[in-house]
Amino acid sequence: MSAELSDLYRSLTVVADGVEIAHPELVRRHADRRARVQVAGSAVAVAVLLGGVAAGGRLAFSADGSAPLPPPAGTPASPPPTGSALPPSPSPSAPPSASTASPTPSRATPSGTRSPEPTGAVTAPPPTSIPDRAFFVLAAANRTGLESTAAGPVLPALCGARYPSESAVVQRRARSLAYKRPETRVGSVPDGSYRHSITIYRPGRADDALRELRQAVRACPEQRMPDDTRTWRQRLLDPGAYGDESVLFELRAPYPQGMGDPGADEVRLVRAVRVDDVVTVLWEQGWEYTAAERAQVDADSRRAVAAIEKWLG
Amino acid sequence: MRHAQSFDEFYRSTARRMMRYGYAVSGDHTEAQDLVQEAFARAWRQWGRLSEHPAPEAWLRLVVSRLANDRWRHLHRWRVMASRSGPPPTAPPPSENGVLLVHALRQLPATQRQALALHYLFDMPIEEIAREAGVPLGTVKSWLSRGRSRLAVLLPDVHIDELEANDVS
Repeated sequence: MSAELSDLYRSLTVVADGVEIAHPELVRRHADRRARVQVAGSAVAVAVLLGGVAAGGRLAFSADGSAPLPPPAGTPASPPPTGSALPPSPSPSAPPSASTASPTPSRATPSGTRSPEPTGAVTAPPPTSIPDRAFFVLAAANRTGLESTAAGPVLPALCGARYPSESAVVQRRARSLAYKRPETRVGSVPDGSYRHSITIYRPGRADDALRELRQAVRACPEQRMPDDTRTWRQRLLDPGAYGDESVLFELRAPYPQGMGDPGADEVRLVRAVRVDDVVTVLWEQGWEYTAAERAQVDADSRRAVAAIEKWLG
Repeated sequence: MRHAQSFDEFYRSTARRMMRYGYAVSGDHTEAQDLVQEAFARAWRQWGRLSEHPAPEAWLRLVVSRLANDRWRHLHRWRVMASRSGPPPTAPPPSENGVLLVHALRQLPATQRQALALHYLFDMPIEEIAREAGVPLGTVKSWLSRGRSRLAVLLPDVHIDELEANDVS
């Protein structure tokens, strides 16, 4: 081998070593932020969950019946409704793992090369609490003034699936809210409702939540719900481009006797979206067996994701 | 699961080597910074799976190579345009061998730059380069041979041995 050429390459490494290396946390933050911006450019959305449970009874009119929905309170604490899963998350619980914060640089590198010298980087700490502004506001034409912070699950039941990532929840807040179609008069019966939740996970654990949700759907193609004689079928759908990653699935069952169009299925959609270490879920639950409209769900999903992104900066 | 700590450790142990590689294949400081940062950003985006990859650093080099090739094509078009109307390129300081080499490498095809960098920067045997590039052994030998022959022409003041059979096999 040419020693001279090897010498030139050694000189090249000296030149290259003069280039500053960014701090790894800065690289991670940059990557996550850029991904969110890219998605926002094409129409981002929040997690939407559609369940098979009519939600009218769990909502209450606000004082004036038309004002923008108030921010949700903390995690609810009452028993979950039929056909739902994931008990209310705890209030602010364990803080983010200290092991993920600014680890000591490792100097052990193979081939005798030295570790890069990280340059200073100022990054925002991961969120530990969910402010009111993290929750989206419905478009004016969709507002009903109905919102509740009553306790309840944030995902539908999936054959009793359990989610180990729940142990990594830092904080969760959830609400239920009803919406109407633009053509529906104010004060009329709503056209649908959402169960909307926002959950902060410990750094790096939010994608576990989505992975576990996908697995739960795959593992539960059919199920019976308590107090429901129908068989529900579940399947994953193309999630679309929402946040850093997302999960979309449907729950489908024939309408009960006398409900819906003859031969039609009652379909609920659930979409969960991860944005950094935050997962937001929008579960469209209908209103007295109304059918969910994908366009409405998508539009509100975009609003929900936009609110999360604005909050996270 | 995307474990930030394991990513940071991976980053700290590989970023410097990756910067050298990026510099060798792109021939530009700023380009190398951009390439390497982009490659690590892509790595972080799928760190949950990549952290279990048997050779994440090889994956990273592949990304850097592809990004460099893309940029190289764009730059090449720009240089052709500049050569028609702009000033001649600035001559590098003769004492800086690394800069001399980089300027010479810019005249080589991307595949030859990549093979030379893997061989001289990472001490990779031919078989490993072939595996990483996904090409036959003979192709790698050809890249190295032609690359060095071309460098011998571009760097007349530097002695570069003729390629020998046992050098790359």
